[in-house]
Amino acid sequence: MTEEDEAAFDEFLAARSTALLRTAILVCGATPHDAEDLVQGALEKVYRHWPRIRHDNPEAYARRVVVNAAITKARRRRVIQEITFASPPDTPVESPDPGLRELLLAELGKLPARMRAVLVLRYWEDMSEAETAASLGCSVGTVKSQAARGLARIRERLGTLEGASA
Amino acid sequence: MNVEEALKEAMTSRVAGVQAPPTMGQRIRRRNRSHVVRFRTAGAALLTVAVAGAVPVYLSATSAPVAAPVGAPGGTSEPAGDDHALSGNVVPDVVGMTNDTVREVLEAAGFKVAWRKVIHEERAPGTIITQQPAAGTVAPEGSTVEITMATSGGPQPKESGQPTPAPSSEAPMPQDLGDLGDGRTFGGAHFGYLPDGLVWGKWSGKDGFGHTSYTTTWVEPGRADTGEYSVQAVVYKGKAARDRRGFAKGDPVMIHGKQGFLGSFTEGGDVAGSTPETTLTLVWFDRENLAVEIMFSPTFAEKLGGDAAAAEIQKIAEGVAVKN
Repeated sequence: MTEEDEAAFDEFLAARSTALLRTAILVCGATPHDAEDLVQGALEKVYRHWPRIRHDNPEAYARRVVVNAAITKARRRRVIQEITFASPPDTPVESPDPGLRELLLAELGKLPARMRAVLVLRYWEDMSEAETAASLGCSVGTVKSQAARGLARIRERLGTLEGASA
Repeated sequence: MNVEEALKEAMTSRVAGVQAPPTMGQRIRRRNRSHVVRFRTAGAALLTVAVAGAVPVYLSATSAPVAAPVGAPGGTSEPAGDDHALSGNVVPDVVGMTNDTVREVLEAAGFKVAWRKVIHEERAPGTIITQQPAAGTVAPEGSTVEITMATSGGPQPKESGQPTPAPSSEAPMPQDLGDLGDGRTFGGAHFGYLPDGLVWGKWSGKDGFGHTSYTTTWVEPGRADTGEYSVQAVVYKGKAARDRRGFAKGDPVMIHGKQGFLGSFTEGGDVAGSTPETTLTLVWFDRENLAVEIMFSPTFAEKLGGDAAAAEIQKIAEGVAVKN
């Protein structure tokens, strides 16, 4: 790896590591500390292949590695039924409804890992269905059905609370 | 608010305070070094197994009326290499080929192919690293050549999976905002004051901190190799600014008469004392739809010293002019 490769990798990290870390937290439901370990492990793979991939959309590659690692981790956690989202930050100044927020995150945590990943990429990262499919290595049809099913499950739960989905 | 939006809002709130530590590059490199050492050890063991395994395979492949090489048990007296006396084909050398050509080559030579994959970090995925029987030996037509292909631990980028296949000339790094010159003007804000000795980090990102956000860094030229920024700034606009407002934490400060918050945060966004692993962060809300955030890397803040760092970060903030 040349010095220029190294410098480019650092720039890549400065630009994208926070976004990748946030994605990992949402997908695997781990604490920021655990998720950081996961992201470091995933980015180590990116680093190893860096000279080859740096000119070819390294962000998409990195996101694939991170999301896959997060799904794997979430599945492992699922075995002990322990998907818990750490409590959201305090002082939600203009939160429409903190209770709703917590409920949504709790419901998100109960979804299968891959379904959750679809929702995170589609609705938090604002990726298109095609981009989401590429990131997860599945078909656009799978993204559509998983997103619809995931939203339906959350809606169903919210239905017990009045006016949650107007 | 529909479920999609509510979900997005909840997810944003969940991670808004999370920042990747600026030391991540160093940690990744450290992990990589220890990994390479581990792998080399494992690689040596694997090679030993492959060589040991090659003998029986070789023998079974040549147990037909084929000349056995000198030294093979039960060998005939006929010397190897007399092609006219052999009934079989010469195994081509496929080591170093890629997985898409190797089948063709072996099948053309009259062999079947058996694949084995091993994780191998030093060879490009898809490269053939071993074969049995070895190249140049003779094996009966229709017998199987077992090849070992390198694969990586992680998924590979698929060209078909790229939303926009990037031309090789594309800049490797996000330069979302183009050449910013000294980096002081971006996202509609001008940073009039920066601590001495900092230069633009030569990259910029858009929307990494929420929809309509802009970011860049300034670095110390001598520390560029360490992968650490010194100062990072984020300009939040529109939705990103409104989201950011929901998670402001720290000690209240006033910047240009507007509400701001100053604190040292851990990687998880919790307020912490000024230890080396925290990021000194100042965020203020210049107007309803605009927020500016300035962060000092732990090493930079440590170098300046706690009080001086707090003074400098506020001085930078006071020097920011927001365009209308």
